[in-house]
Amino acid sequence: MLLEEKYAVVSCIVIRLIVSLLFPSLQAQLDKSVELSTPMSSYRSLTEGIFLLRNGFPLYHGGVVHHPPLLVAFMSLFEPQCLVALLYALTDGLISYQLMCMARCFPGLEMPSWLPGALYALNPLALLSCVSQSSVIFANAFTSTAILCALKGNLLSFATALGIASYLSPYQSLLLIPSLYVLSRENNQRTKAALAVLSVFIVLLQLSSAVTGGSWEFLQATYWSQMNFEKLFPNLGLWWYFFIEMFDMFIPFFKAAFNLFVISFILPFSIRFQRQPFYALVLCIGWITLTKPYPTLGDAGFFFSFLPFFKPLFGYMRCPLLSVLLCIHAIILSPIFYHLWVDLGSGNSNFFYAISLVYALALGFVLIDLCWSMLRIEFDGGRPNYNLKFTPTNPKPFLGELVNKPIVVTLKFNKTQYKGNLISTDNYFNLQLSEAEEVVDGKNKGKVGDIFIRCNNVLWIGEDLSAKEQHQQKPTTSDDTPTTTD
Amino acid sequence: MVRLIGIVGWIGLLNSVIGVVKADETSLKFQIDQDIDLQDDCNESLGNHEDSCNSGFLFNEDGSETEIEVTETIIEDAPRPTINLRDKEDDSIIVEDQIWYPYREHLTVKPLPKNYLLTSFDFNTESNEFIPGRPSTDFDDYSHYTVFPKAFKPILDQTSTRQLHLRFTRGFWDAESWGRLPYDGFKSGGSGVEIWAILEAASKDSAFSQWKTLVNSLSGLFCASMNFIDGAKTTFPVEAFHPMADSTLPLFDNSNKLYLIRAALANEPICTENLTPLVKLFPTKGKSGITTLLDGHKVFDSTWHSLSVDISTECYEQTDRCIHTLQALVDMVINVPKTLARNENPIPKPLPSDKLRCDLDKPYDAFHCFQLPYETEGSYGLSELFGKYIQGSSLMSEEPSQVCVEISDNWNSFIQVNGSLFATADDCFELKDFQQQDIYFESNNTNEVLDVEPVPVYVSRSLTGYGQDRGGLRTVFMNPQNEPVTLIYFETLPWFMRIYLSTMHLEKNAQSPVNISLDDILQSTYYMPAADRIRPTHLEYRITIPANTTLAVSYQFDKSLLQYAEYPPDANHGFEIESAVITVIDPTAYQLRTATLLLLLSTPDFSMPYNVIILTSTVMGLIFGTLFNLLVKKMLTVEEADKIQEGNSLQHKIQVVKGKIMTKSKFKYQEVKNDLKE
Repeated sequence: MLLEEKYAVVSCIVIRLIVSLLFPSLQAQLDKSVELSTPMSSYRSLTEGIFLLRNGFPLYHGGVVHHPPLLVAFMSLFEPQCLVALLYALTDGLISYQLMCMARCFPGLEMPSWLPGALYALNPLALLSCVSQSSVIFANAFTSTAILCALKGNLLSFATALGIASYLSPYQSLLLIPSLYVLSRENNQRTKAALAVLSVFIVLLQLSSAVTGGSWEFLQATYWSQMNFEKLFPNLGLWWYFFIEMFDMFIPFFKAAFNLFVISFILPFSIRFQRQPFYALVLCIGWITLTKPYPTLGDAGFFFSFLPFFKPLFGYMRCPLLSVLLCIHAIILSPIFYHLWVDLGSGNSNFFYAISLVYALALGFVLIDLCWSMLRIEFDGGRPNYNLKFTPTNPKPFLGELVNKPIVVTLKFNKTQYKGNLISTDNYFNLQLSEAEEVVDGKNKGKVGDIFIRCNNVLWIGEDLSAKEQHQQKPTTSDDTPTTTD
Repeated sequence: MVRLIGIVGWIGLLNSVIGVVKADETSLKFQIDQDIDLQDDCNESLGNHEDSCNSGFLFNEDGSETEIEVTETIIEDAPRPTINLRDKEDDSIIVEDQIWYPYREHLTVKPLPKNYLLTSFDFNTESNEFIPGRPSTDFDDYSHYTVFPKAFKPILDQTSTRQLHLRFTRGFWDAESWGRLPYDGFKSGGSGVEIWAILEAASKDSAFSQWKTLVNSLSGLFCASMNFIDGAKTTFPVEAFHPMADSTLPLFDNSNKLYLIRAALANEPICTENLTPLVKLFPTKGKSGITTLLDGHKVFDSTWHSLSVDISTECYEQTDRCIHTLQALVDMVINVPKTLARNENPIPKPLPSDKLRCDLDKPYDAFHCFQLPYETEGSYGLSELFGKYIQGSSLMSEEPSQVCVEISDNWNSFIQVNGSLFATADDCFELKDFQQQDIYFESNNTNEVLDVEPVPVYVSRSLTGYGQDRGGLRTVFMNPQNEPVTLIYFETLPWFMRIYLSTMHLEKNAQSPVNISLDDILQSTYYMPAADRIRPTHLEYRITIPANTTLAVSYQFDKSLLQYAEYPPDANHGFEIESAVITVIDPTAYQLRTATLLLLLSTPDFSMPYNVIILTSTVMGLIFGTLFNLLVKKMLTVEEADKIQEGNSLQHKIQVVKGKIMTKSKFKYQEVKNDLKE
C-alpha cells in the first residue's frame, strides 16, 4: 500500500467522522432530504426497525421498515451514535481502499492508483450520503468488494460479497451478469460463480427468516415493495411522479414495464462490451442508478467514483461539459425546488419533477457518452486517436481546401474512382479534375486527362492520400464515411 | 271512528301479547289540543303498520274535532282497553287507562358559566323480549316492535351486533370553564361521526364483514357517510372502549367470540339530516313531548352538540329471553345571549349606538366605547332558545316526560302551562299531556351557577413541523389534581402518516419532575402500525400522569404521497385526523377527546397526468433509443463495411444485380458517346 493510498483512506474516514461528529444535527437533516434518503434506505426507518426489534414488535407488520432483517439485526448491535458514525466512515473508507486496489489491476491506465480513492474521499455525493447514514453505503461496499474479488478472480469471496449486496439491495443482483464476465472467461467458472451467489443469497434469506421468527413477511416489505414501487415518495428517479399521475388501471402494466426497463440494458451491455467486462459492469451500475425505483445521490456518487477508470476515453466524449452542467444543475436545484414545493408552497410538484428529469438526462448523457467512447476506442483498436474526427465536416470549405490538391472521387456505380487534381468546383459540387486516372474495381484503367464530373454521380470525395505517399488508409470524407453497420 | 277503535284495539291486543302493560285502576283523562296526524291507511294494513301508527293514535285530522275515550275491558286474562269515540263540541280526546310502553324521555337543563346553557335530552327505550340465536328464517318467526325502532332490530340481528354506539358530535367543549362533559364524556364523541360496536362472530374476518354490513346499513339510516368506513379506518380497540366490567354481554352461540370494532369519520358535518332520523326513532317522533324542541336550526346553531345512540343487549337467565335497550341522547351547549340576539336580528348586524352598553368608567363618546360584558341579569324560556314550545308529554311512556333544571340558589325556574307559571321544590317538572308548555328561567346573576366538576386531566394534541412532507404529533397531558391520574390513550392515524415510534419521547417543562422518563409513566403500549390502504396506525398506551404535572409526549411521522385519484376533490384543504380518545381509569372514570387535526399533504399537479406520461416516456425513450442505437452498431470504415457486406448480405446481392444493369446502360451510354464522337 502506497503512502498516498494510506493518506486517501485515512482522509476519507477522517473527513466523514469529523463532519458527522462536528455537526451532529446534519445527519438528521440529510436523512430527511429526498435526494439522499428514500423510504427503502433512510436511517430513521432503520432506527425504527431497530426500535421495533428491541421492543419485540414484528418488524414488517407495518409499512415503515424496508431494510432487510439481517441489516436491522446487525445495526442494533451499535448503540451510541458515534459508534454508528464510525461504522459508516469505516465502510466508506473500505470502498475508497477497494477503488484503489481496482486501479492497481489496470496498470495500462497511466493513472496513479491512489487517484480513485482520493476522488472518492472528496466526492461530495459520497460524503453526504455517508453522513446521512443511508443504508445504500452497505450495498455499495459489498458491490465494490464483489467487483474487486471478480477482478482478482477470487470466486468464493466474490460470490459472498455479491450475494450480500443483492440481499441488501435487490437491483444489485443484476450486476451478477456483467461481473461474471469480469470474473472468468470460462463458462464452467461462471456457472459455478452464479450458483455460489444464488446459494449465498438463499442462505441469507433463510437466516433472515430465522431472525424474524420464521416468517417470510420481510420479502414483501423489502423486495416486493421496491419492485412494486409501493411507497410514493418523491426522489430523483423516474418512477415516482409517473406512478402518482398514472391512471389506476394502467399502474400494474407500467410497473412491469419500468422493471423491464431496469433490466433491459444489463445483458446488452455485458455482451456488447464483453471484452472490457469491467467497463460493462460500471455501465450497468450507472444504468441501475438511472432506472431503479428509489435512487439516491449516494448511488450516483458510487457510480461517478468509477469514472476515473474511463480516463483514456475522456478525449472521445462528445458532450462532457453538458453532462457535468446538467448534473450540477440537477443536484443544486433539486433541494431548492423541493423546498419551494413542500415547505414554502410557492412552487408545485412540477418543479421538482422537472429537476428529476434533468437529473435523469444528465445520467443518461454520461452513459451515452461512455458508450460512444467505448465504441470509439474499439474502432481505434485500443490506442486512442483523438484527432480522428467523426463529426461531419462542412463540405464547402472542405472542397475549397482541396482545390489544386490530388483527390479521389468515387462514383455511385461501377466501383469507379477517379484520381486527379481538383481544378475547380461550384456550389453544386460539380468537379473539374486534371490529370485524372480512372480506377475501376481497384484496377487502374489509365489516364483520362481533364474531366468534368457531374455532382449527382459522386458517392464521395476525399483527398488522395496515396498521392501524398502516406500510409494512413482511412479517408476522411464529407458525408458518411465512418459508416456503421450491423 | 270505527277505524280508530280498530287501531287502539289492536294496540291493546299487542299489549296483552307482550305483557308489558301494567293495568292501572284509575282511568286517566287527557285533553288534546294539538294536531296529531293519523294516516288514513292505518286500518287497512293493521298487521304491519303498528310501529308507524301506534305512537300517533291521538290525532286531529283536517280540523275535525273528536273525542276519544279509552276504557278497559278484560279479554281472557289480559287487560284490553277499548275506546269509545263520541263527537263533542270541544276538541278533546279522552284516553281512559293509558297503555304504557317502555319509553322514557327526560330533559336536563343546566346553566353553565358565562351565559352558556347545557341541555341534555335523554331518551330510553327497550325492545320486546326475543329468543336469542333463533334464525330469522324460522317459519314461525315473527317480530314485534312497539316503541323500539323497527329499523334497528333487523340490522342488529343480521350483523349479530350485541352493542352499538354511535356518536355525532361537533363543536368545542370548553372543559376549563364548563368542567366535565355530560355523562363523564362516555356519551359524546370526537368531532365528526364515531361508531363502535361489539359483534358476535366466528372469526375476525367475519366480524369485519358483519361490521361493513352494519356501517353501511347505519349509513343509510342516519344519512351519514359511514359507508366510507373501510379497513383503512377501522380498528379493533384493545383497552379503550371496552364496556364496563360489571356488564356482561351474551353470546348467542358459544363457539363465537365477541369483537369490539371502532371507526370514526373526523369532521364529518353533523346536520339536520342526521338529527331527523334520530328524532324519528322515538315513538313521539318530534310531535309531542320534549322531542318537539329538537329543531335542526337551533340544535346545530349551538356551540357544542352531540347526538348519541347506544344499543345494548340484555338477557334474562331465568327465561332465556333477551331484550335490546336503546338510549339516545342529544346534548348541546347554547350560547344564550347569542341565540336570543339572533331571535331579534336573524341577520347579525352591528348594534345601533344607543343600544351599545359602554363601560362608563372608561372614556367614551360617539366614537369610543369599551363594551361591557353581557348582562348578568337575565330571564328566558326554552321556547326562546329552541324557537318552539314543548307540546304535551309522551303519551305512551311509563312515566311522563320530565324536565329537570340544575340551578344554584340565585336562579329560579318555572314551568309555564297555559300562561301560568308553576315552580317545584326540586326544579323537576313533569310535562302535562296535550298542553303547550315552556320552561322559564330567571336569575339576578347568570354567572353564578352550580360549581362545575373539575376534569381529572386536560389533554390537547397538535401537529408540529412546517413542511408538507413530514411532521410530528405532540400530545400535552395536564394533570391539575393532587393525585396521579392513570389513563388509556387511544389513537388511530391514517396510513399515509408513517409513524416513527422510535422517535417517541417525553417533553418536560420546568415544573415537571426532572428524573421522570417515558418508561416510568408508560405502563403498556399496544402498537399496530399502519399498512398502506389496508389499516390505520393503532396506538394505545396506558400512562400515569403524576400529580400537578404537565407532560408532552411527541413523535415524528412522514407523510406519504397519494396516487392522483386518491386525493379528495379539495386536496389542498388537507386531511382530517380523528381525535385521540383518552379514557381516565383512575381515580375516576372519565372520557375525553382531543380536537381533530387537519393534516396537509403535499399534492401533485392534478392537471399533469398526460404531460407526465409524455415527458417521462420521452426521456426514457431518448436514453433508451440512443443507447440501443449505439449498442447494436460497430464502427467501421467504408471499405471494411463493404467487405463485410460483400458475399453475405442480401442487400449486396441486390446491389450486384443493380450494378450489372447499370453497367449495361453505361455501355449504351458509351456507345451513344462514341457515336457522337464519331
